Amino acid sequence: MSLKKFSELFGDLDSINSTNNKIEVLKSYFLSNEPIDNSWAIYLLTGKSNKRYINGRYLKNLFSQIYEYPQWLIDTCYLKVGDSAEVITLLLKNKTTSKNKKLSNISLSELLSKTIPNLSKLNKEEKNLKIKNIWEKLPEENHLIFNKILTGTFRVGVSIGLITKSISKLINIDEEIISYRLMGNFKPSIDSYEFLINKNINLEDLNSRPFPFLLANNFEDKVFKHSINDFQFEWKYDGIRLQLIKRLGNISLWTRGQELVNESFPELVEKMSYIKDDFVLDGELLVWNFKEQIAFDFSFLQKRMNRKSPTKSIQIKYPIIFIAYDLLEINGRDIREIKLENRRIDLEKYFSEWQNKTENNITDIIRICDLIYPKDWSDALTFKEKSRENNTEGLIIKKKNSIYTSGRKKGIWWKYKVDPMQLDAVLIYAKGGSGRRAGLYTDYSFALWKDQELIKFASAYSGLTNIEIKELDKWIRKNTIEKFGPVRSLKPEMVFEISFEKIKISKRHKSGIAVRFPRITKWRKDKKINDADSLDNAYELMKKIS
Amino acid sequence: MKTKQEDLIRYKDGNLYCELADIWIDPSKPVKKALITHAHFDHFTFGCEEYISTNETAILLKERVGDNIKIKTFDYGEEFKINGINISFHPSGHILGSSQIRFIFAQEKWLITGDFKLQKDKTCKQYEIVKTDYLISECTFGLPIFKWDETSVIANDISKWITNSPEKTSLLFCYSLGKAQRLLNEISLTNFKGNIYSHGSIYKMNNCYKDLGIDIKDTIKINNKKKIDELKGSLILLPPSLSKGSYLKNFKNIQTAFASGWMSISALRKRSGYDKGFVISDHADWDGILEVVKKSEAKNVFFQHGDSEALSKYLVETESINVLFFGK
Repeated sequence: MSLKKFSELFGDLDSINSTNNKIEVLKSYFLSNEPIDNSWAIYLLTGKSNKRYINGRYLKNLFSQIYEYPQWLIDTCYLKVGDSAEVITLLLKNKTTSKNKKLSNISLSELLSKTIPNLSKLNKEEKNLKIKNIWEKLPEENHLIFNKILTGTFRVGVSIGLITKSISKLINIDEEIISYRLMGNFKPSIDSYEFLINKNINLEDLNSRPFPFLLANNFEDKVFKHSINDFQFEWKYDGIRLQLIKRLGNISLWTRGQELVNESFPELVEKMSYIKDDFVLDGELLVWNFKEQIAFDFSFLQKRMNRKSPTKSIQIKYPIIFIAYDLLEINGRDIREIKLENRRIDLEKYFSEWQNKTENNITDIIRICDLIYPKDWSDALTFKEKSRENNTEGLIIKKKNSIYTSGRKKGIWWKYKVDPMQLDAVLIYAKGGSGRRAGLYTDYSFALWKDQELIKFASAYSGLTNIEIKELDKWIRKNTIEKFGPVRSLKPEMVFEISFEKIKISKRHKSGIAVRFPRITKWRKDKKINDADSLDNAYELMKKIS
Repeated sequence: MKTKQEDLIRYKDGNLYCELADIWIDPSKPVKKALITHAHFDHFTFGCEEYISTNETAILLKERVGDNIKIKTFDYGEEFKINGINISFHPSGHILGSSQIRFIFAQEKWLITGDFKLQKDKTCKQYEIVKTDYLISECTFGLPIFKWDETSVIANDISKWITNSPEKTSLLFCYSLGKAQRLLNEISLTNFKGNIYSHGSIYKMNNCYKDLGIDIKDTIKINNKKKIDELKGSLILLPPSLSKGSYLKNFKNIQTAFASGWMSISALRKRSGYDKGFVISDHADWDGILEVVKKSEAKNVFFQHGDSEALSKYLVETESINVLFFGK
């Protein structure tokens, strides 16, 4: 019965919007199923299993072959649904005529540990036959799960944090401890589940816990009234905020989202192990351009994070560094109540010791942040404007005599971000989205004027509200000039304000420019296409910046 | 392919029109004479000089828009003549009173299905297979990913959905005319025995159905002063227009669902913002459309309402059926 129950759980998690309801559903699932199946469920839900046994195209071809179904019709359906496993599941309905649903009692653990892995041992014909056989023998309500696992596309709208929360509520133990237990090579087994829900907390559990993060507020003009000497100035890096924890030999790296990411950054864990002291550091993780000594775009970090455990070649391709800006604990002593300026002195002191006395070089990837010393507030603003040159987002301004509290308390840390660059551009192409955005036109291309011609300069898909997306989708369907596959060219009529972070010359683009992080910030319904900006405006913007 | 002039029924200004009889079918703007297939508002417009429909459709329409319209009614199967063209209504199974319309002129038969479904529905007459030369069919769900389950299966899912959360108030959104009554009828056969409330717009239609002899479970008309506690564990039927906005603030601890054929697609289900989607439709699914095309024995088929590209190509390629397109 348990695969059926897992199918139901998947359906519930997929449809429920409220986080609390999701937690309730998960709790009752864990309570009513065998430990071994719970263990596999957690393995699946936390995305630890994403092996692709066959790809979506293969699945569609196989279905087309077995049931003599035109390929183009499957492709048309796919455009509406946006997911191969789901399309085939919908098409399989009423197709499997076998009355003998032998697999109706298969358990989740058997499917995942035997049935599906065994497919890899078969040759192509045997494999196809076996899949057909499973489709025939499996009750229809389980087809979706099977197809999704097969194509490595099993995803559900729950984060690791939510799983952690439900287990934490189930046994009444802090989330951080569950997170720590879930970390690492979680192999589905009865033992691993029992370990997870063990009500006895051991020392190792406790040692892994991070401090609540102190968060910065958006800068307010009233800060100008204070003396510049009251503040410490740092660059605002655009990376991942982390707490690096080393206590009694146990190392844990925590994100602000309560996620343990040791596996993502093994080289950092290794370097931390060389340091003789115990510590808790607060700082930013970045993918680093060692040649120019500046950070790479956030997109590089995303590429690096896409892999749960990065291979050596990924580590070389996307080299990371950690820039520490605060020391919160040293050799078991919690120093958060000490003033920032004194914590900074400690940070510098310990760091220089590590630099000089550690046998292996650690400072190539563990560093402390440089401070900036503006003479007055207008000088601070000049620094802020320069932040684009070193790929930072602006300034972080910290009160020197503040203690490290938790949360977003006003007046302690301020973030002062540099303004984005903006151009008004004309919508000229739209492309269908996939997944959640299937069946809607959500990927847009925008153009700027060059004499009497509109030249494409950027593509963007974020920034519109769901209501705006629906409205624009309707407009797109009515104002299509031509369709090329999934792309439609559109009547030039709609103007949007596009914001971006950086602009540079690019020979690869027809427009001659490339922009970073383009996004839609306003639907300028008040503007006609003749009011849109030209490429010359873009060049001017570029000159102004450099 | 036939030329436009030869077609008995054609598309004009976005509506189906029979020039020889000077009559429009479900017109979207005021005309002299309008045939109305059923009483949903997207098939009706104010201001026509004369409407012609089945008796049930006329009663439902008057209930919704008032007596101030001129409607001539005919029974299912009863032939009437306009300018020498024989016209008759036939059950389409969509909602109470819904009909297909057949035209016969000079031995040539034309059939407009209107909105239809083949599934059993005790709140209206079952779809009648009508043979024709020319078929104009709706194809709202013209892709093979749309396949409906037995209505009782969905009704049981709904019943389970409510009874599994006894501490919650379950809000089920559905069209107030047709879908709501069909759901009530089906839910009354399930294990759910709690209270059912309906919104005023639905309550009114329930009574109308009852007056027309349809067996509909009694519901309580919901008003805003209902005590929140007494709604625990009960079902409330509401029209989809109330799903967004402040109306939901009248309730506490709710779960929401939408009953529609579109809920087959998970991307749409998620975007719709309801907690749950129940796949139940008063339109034909893919197999239903194919069955009607085949059994009608039509040599020529047109489609309206929906994206018919794939369906047309499929019929041409695999069934060798001649699919025609209306000139714009």
